[in-house]
Amino acid sequence: MNIDGDYLWDKTGEPDPEIQELEEILGTLRYQPRPLKIPADLQTNPTRGFFSTLVPRLAIAATLAMALLGLGLWLGLQHSQQPRAPVVAKTPIAPASGKNPGSRELPTPDQGAKDTDVATFGGPEQKQKHLSRRHSASSSLAANINRSPHIREGLIRQRQVAVQELREAEAAKDELMLALRMASAKLNFAQKKTQNINPREPVHNQHKIG
Amino acid sequence: MKSLSQTLWKLPSLTVLIILGAAATATAQNPRIQTSQLDALAPKASETVDVNIDERLMQLTSKFFSSKDNDEAKVKEIINGLKGIYVKSFEFENEGQYTEADIEGIRSQLRNPAWNKVVNVSSKKEGGVEVYLMQNGNQISGLALLATDPKEITVVNIIGPVDLDKLTQLEGQFGIPELGIERSKPKRKN
Repeated sequence: MNIDGDYLWDKTGEPDPEIQELEEILGTLRYQPRPLKIPADLQTNPTRGFFSTLVPRLAIAATLAMALLGLGLWLGLQHSQQPRAPVVAKTPIAPASGKNPGSRELPTPDQGAKDTDVATFGGPEQKQKHLSRRHSASSSLAANINRSPHIREGLIRQRQVAVQELREAEAAKDELMLALRMASAKLNFAQKKTQNINPREPVHNQHKIG
Repeated sequence: MKSLSQTLWKLPSLTVLIILGAAATATAQNPRIQTSQLDALAPKASETVDVNIDERLMQLTSKFFSSKDNDEAKVKEIINGLKGIYVKSFEFENEGQYTEADIEGIRSQLRNPAWNKVVNVSSKKEGGVEVYLMQNGNQISGLALLATDPKEITVVNIIGPVDLDKLTQLEGQFGIPELGIERSKPKRKN
């Protein structure tokens, strides 16, 4: 193949037979302008069926309904989440902390709030602002909770279950220690007895040789 | 044709047998021993100890042991991975309050080939102790201890991989009183 000339560039110079052959083969695929032929049986304005008109409308309606549902759920979630933190602080049910040694490790919500205040708010003004904001929020939320007894009952029940589990675990800890003590004592007894039967140093009266 | 119908009749019974065999095997491998038959001794006993800590309670309780405290960490290490601890103990005022028949129910369960009797101590004065282990490969999957005394019966059943050395060393630590039993002397180095 001759690629030195300008034939490939602008068809000047000496043509190469191989290139000419390729041109002939590929020339059949060259663009050929043809007028547009529209088939006679093609309907340019077909009559729309019932379903074909209904489906897009239904899709739009479903999208709107989904969007509204999502918005409603989001608002509902926001509403239900807001009162929770102050409710725990306000709930009067608390374990008998004086009698429960295990509950010492768990700070009460008020204590936790105090700790947070100290850690988060450096200046007294900021702290005061925050406290007043929190007080107003908690009072309004407390009013909301008074209006919705289901939430309050649920929270009280949760708290009661947690306290019950705490007490159960504390009692179980004592029982566990008792069980381990007994098992350990009996095993020690068995160990001592077996060692007495098979002493480690059976020969004591041997004399050293040499 | 007759042979085919006979074979078809045998299939359900074979299936039932397989299921029963599997259930029996599963029961045989279960390290939990039943001690409810000893409950009849409770009215005669002057002191009764009944501890039942299952896996859920064990997990709940293990959270109450601090890892920072050495003694509590030791206990936590022992109970880590355990699936249950069950203890039943009866102490009587006088001798002869129970018979061998009362303990037979426990012993019959421990005669199962899955259990290996590792220690059997018998003393007329101090009573006897039998220690059984159930092993799954190299790992202990259960421990049963039956301690009998003329005035006392104790059954300890620990489910799960228990470390016997650590459990034995526990006596005298963490508020667990030493019960006057000497601990073994450490091995002398050659």
